[in-house]
Amino acid sequence: MSKENPEATTKVPDDLLAKEHEELIPIADDALVAAYECLRDQDDAESQGPMGGDLNSHEPPGPADQDPPASPGRTYPNIRRLHGTPFEREKDRRETRAWAERCGGEMQEWYEVARTKPCTWWLENHLVARHSLDGCIACGVCTSLCPAAEYYEEYDPRVIIDTALSNDEARLVDLLKSETLWYCGQCGSCKPKCPRENNLMGLISSLRFLAQLKGYHLCSVRGRQQYAARHLWGGNLWNRACSLYFRNVDAESHADFGPRYAQYQSEVEPQMTRVGANPDTAGQFGGRKVPPETLEELRRCVAGGGTLALWNRLEEQALEEARRLGISIEEYFERVRSEG
Amino acid sequence: MRTTITAPAGEAASKEIPENDFFLTPSCVLGALNPGTEVLISRIYDLLGLRWTAAGNRPDSQCTCCTGIASHGDVMSMESTLLVVARLWSIAAQMGFENITTACVTSFAIHTECLEMYQHEPGLDKRVDRWLQEACGRRLQIPRHVVHASDIVYRYRQALGQEFMRYRLVEKRTGRPLRIVDHVGCHYAKVFPEKSVGGSDWCEVLTGMIRAWGGETVDYPERNHCCGMGFRQCMIRPNRGYTLACVLKKLESMEPWKPDAILTNCPGCNVFLDKEQWAAKELSGTTYDIPTLSYTELVGLLLGWDPYEVVGIQAHTVPVEPLLDKIGIAYDKSKEWFSRHG
Repeated sequence: MSKENPEATTKVPDDLLAKEHEELIPIADDALVAAYECLRDQDDAESQGPMGGDLNSHEPPGPADQDPPASPGRTYPNIRRLHGTPFEREKDRRETRAWAERCGGEMQEWYEVARTKPCTWWLENHLVARHSLDGCIACGVCTSLCPAAEYYEEYDPRVIIDTALSNDEARLVDLLKSETLWYCGQCGSCKPKCPRENNLMGLISSLRFLAQLKGYHLCSVRGRQQYAARHLWGGNLWNRACSLYFRNVDAESHADFGPRYAQYQSEVEPQMTRVGANPDTAGQFGGRKVPPETLEELRRCVAGGGTLALWNRLEEQALEEARRLGISIEEYFERVRSEG
Repeated sequence: MRTTITAPAGEAASKEIPENDFFLTPSCVLGALNPGTEVLISRIYDLLGLRWTAAGNRPDSQCTCCTGIASHGDVMSMESTLLVVARLWSIAAQMGFENITTACVTSFAIHTECLEMYQHEPGLDKRVDRWLQEACGRRLQIPRHVVHASDIVYRYRQALGQEFMRYRLVEKRTGRPLRIVDHVGCHYAKVFPEKSVGGSDWCEVLTGMIRAWGGETVDYPERNHCCGMGFRQCMIRPNRGYTLACVLKKLESMEPWKPDAILTNCPGCNVFLDKEQWAAKELSGTTYDIPTLSYTELVGLLLGWDPYEVVGIQAHTVPVEPLLDKIGIAYDKSKEWFSRHG
């Protein structure tokens, strides 16, 4: 894992969460992943020293019928402090690259080959794309019912179908480089009314996947946001077995939810616990932690389906872009997350 | 002014909803933003005496996300989604359950899409079975039914109303049936309309509950318009204007009917139709303050369960208490917040 970095060291600094990304680079891949897991699994008392800072010690009152939390070592007591940090993102970069090298697999190879093929080949061969379209009678019902077409004046989903059916590589490349490819809200309002029963949301999602594999998403503001998406949803899945973690929806980044929401968020853990949810504890409902065995199985499923080919490609592209712009990968992450 | 929603003759679609034995899969959005809503599903199943389970016991939960947000956010391959869902199906079968009930409508569409994929792609089931064995030693086992939890509540709506509920959707002071706007999640009724109760135009799943519990359904021009959740639209901050615009469009359209509440079956709709009302007020200067509830929250309130301790109405941006006052549901406002600054 460390062969790309001959200067790598196995010495792990004791204040990893405070480190800038550049300071994490010299740490060997194995050591970085091991340090993350060690910090994640430490209980609160142990973690005060090495990780620095104060823990949120607001202990929620548990309902009478709630099982006690599992032992801290099994359920990542410090995940709340690691989520969404530069340290976690750097760990994920290294870990998913190592997983891809180690696991490989049929679908990962398929996606790595597919990105070198023409877009027209993708439309004929990708599992979702080839089931999405059955011609078009140009009735325009997809556009007339589309909430995104109403909001974004330049967006016309019928044009996407027309482009996909054109078999014109140049038009397809232009579409994959466009802003408009990213406007669909994936609601499916178009689907029940299409006379040809086309699956436009599936087609668009498939084309977005291809745009990222080929790097064409870098040509649009909305496309570049996918690097933030990969770490938000991908990071949650990889580390917490959910797409959305309850700590992602903090009041500060959701000012549009109003002051009452901020009040709720200020006591979110006891509020979740009182109704039977499981904020960062063992359980079946909101905020639950899963044991390592479950996380391992989920990761193997994600890897087995070829997704790591995309995640690692996004990392390579983001690093190249950051270098081109003369900024760090974390500065690039912040830029694409707030751009638009 | 049309206030009653009924499908034209011959257009009402039916759906086979299993009676019992449910494997419940959780929702990422509900869990993060309306946690009581999700737990209420299990409480309602228990009240009805249904046999159900989630994946594994509490300390050793085998529950995972279905990948829905990541999938519609375009950072997850379809094959990875097929594997993650197949793993959940395998656990369900291992635990003796053939009926998947999802808490989330996007999960409902994701699980249903997987089923459809197996039907339309010859040999896919064998490949996924092989990949699943390689990944985690499990086998692909297709469930008998995939339904949304609102389907189950719809099926038992009369029993809930007649045998268990202490309150009805009626204004206590006047006896007036309350006007309830239904907002069915797009991924429940539009992606696979034939798999919903009533289809995309005349979806019955929520209106059936409203009528059964004494309320009046409300039709309005933008009834079927999406709430604007949009995955990358709401969760990547610079794009959230799209979400707000969709919510505002719906609020402006329903406002002339003076609805007493909005009823949802979708986690995202429940969040954004409620929480964006604050931003809509700031933006447009119009105060809507229409309480927005999920079907399970409404069931809990009509059953007489504690609004704060069990239902969790304090998670809402628009206060629900005015609706409780209309119905005559008692509540102890001092329970709302733990801290003093409320």
